[in-house]
Amino acid sequence: MAKPRELRRRIKSVQSTRKITKTMELVATSKLKRAQDRVVAARPYATALAEVIGDLYAPELAERFPLLRQPARDGHGRRVALVVITANRGLCGAFNANLIREARRRIEQLEAEGTGVDLHLIGKKGITYFKFAKRAAASQRTDVGDKPKAEHAAEIVGPLMSQFEAGALDAVEVVFAQFKSAVSTPPTTLRILPITPPRADGRTGGRADAVQSQTASPADRPSAAFYILKPSADAILEQLLPLYVRNQLYRALVETAAAFLGAQRTAMKNATDNAGEIIELLQRTYNRARQAQITQELAEIVGGAEALKG
Amino acid sequence: MHVTVVSPERAVFDGSADAVVAPAYDGQVGILPRHAPFLTLLGTGVLRVQQGSASSRFQVAGGFLQVVGDAVRVVADRVDAS
Repeated sequence: MAKPRELRRRIKSVQSTRKITKTMELVATSKLKRAQDRVVAARPYATALAEVIGDLYAPELAERFPLLRQPARDGHGRRVALVVITANRGLCGAFNANLIREARRRIEQLEAEGTGVDLHLIGKKGITYFKFAKRAAASQRTDVGDKPKAEHAAEIVGPLMSQFEAGALDAVEVVFAQFKSAVSTPPTTLRILPITPPRADGRTGGRADAVQSQTASPADRPSAAFYILKPSADAILEQLLPLYVRNQLYRALVETAAAFLGAQRTAMKNATDNAGEIIELLQRTYNRARQAQITQELAEIVGGAEALKG
Repeated sequence: MHVTVVSPERAVFDGSADAVVAPAYDGQVGILPRHAPFLTLLGTGVLRVQQGSASSRFQVAGGFLQVVGDAVRVVADRVDAS
């Protein structure tokens, strides 16, 4: 059996680890609250944009707007930009590993079709992994963090949009963690270019999620023909489509940030619980060892006294 | 009439108002209650939302303004308090 002193040292060490994980859990919980608010706060804009684009969109416009152009080429010779969003930090269970796995799955799938893949990495964990895997990235950045701004999304997606318009890219996809709830954050691949036009009822075409009409049901909203449009439907659409693309990336960033904090909270809670169990076990072992030592010492004293008497 | 001002990050204003003066792409537009359905692009400038004698001002850039029924929606790419 281990020495009592050794056990005491280990108990102390586990206790201090538990203190750290407990604190991290609390920090993640409070940050998660705010990150969740940001996810919710981003919805009205996305809804409004999707509704208006849905109203103005007509399938015959597709050829006129480069952002809506469906790639004519298929398979070989195509080029796709894959934006992979991961966290900058770890200690969040399998969160980053799941995102990276999803990204690798998508890369393999695309390359099997003969499509070239440009990697755009956001977040230290993704960068580290692909460096380890010896895969060159077209761009990488680590400055997004827990509070993504609309400007971050604009900076990332701007160059991709112009490459797409110029025909150098055939599609742009994002790998991110969809924030369904604090415990359900499935890694998801979303195609943001070419734009899948949102339907007129305000739901986005690309994903069947929470973007829903809040203000009015489609029945009591006038159609595009009913509006006074200035300057014109085409001109408005031309301005709004890039905003829509940017917003989709922004939402991916915000959702991933919230999902990361959710994953971190869960991981730290598990770590805290485990530490508690270990401490309990060690404490019990320590008590037994201490008792055994006392018993043995007593036996020795009694034995010694007996021997002196004799 | 009901006015909402939203930026990509959050809803900046949500409430009833008496008038809205917005910087459209080609100049200022004023929206009063009972305006016809209207959709226009926004330029850069100061958006003013008038509530009685008080008014709120926002610096906006890009996006659009939409009037549907009694609701005015200002959806701007950038919104800063001014």
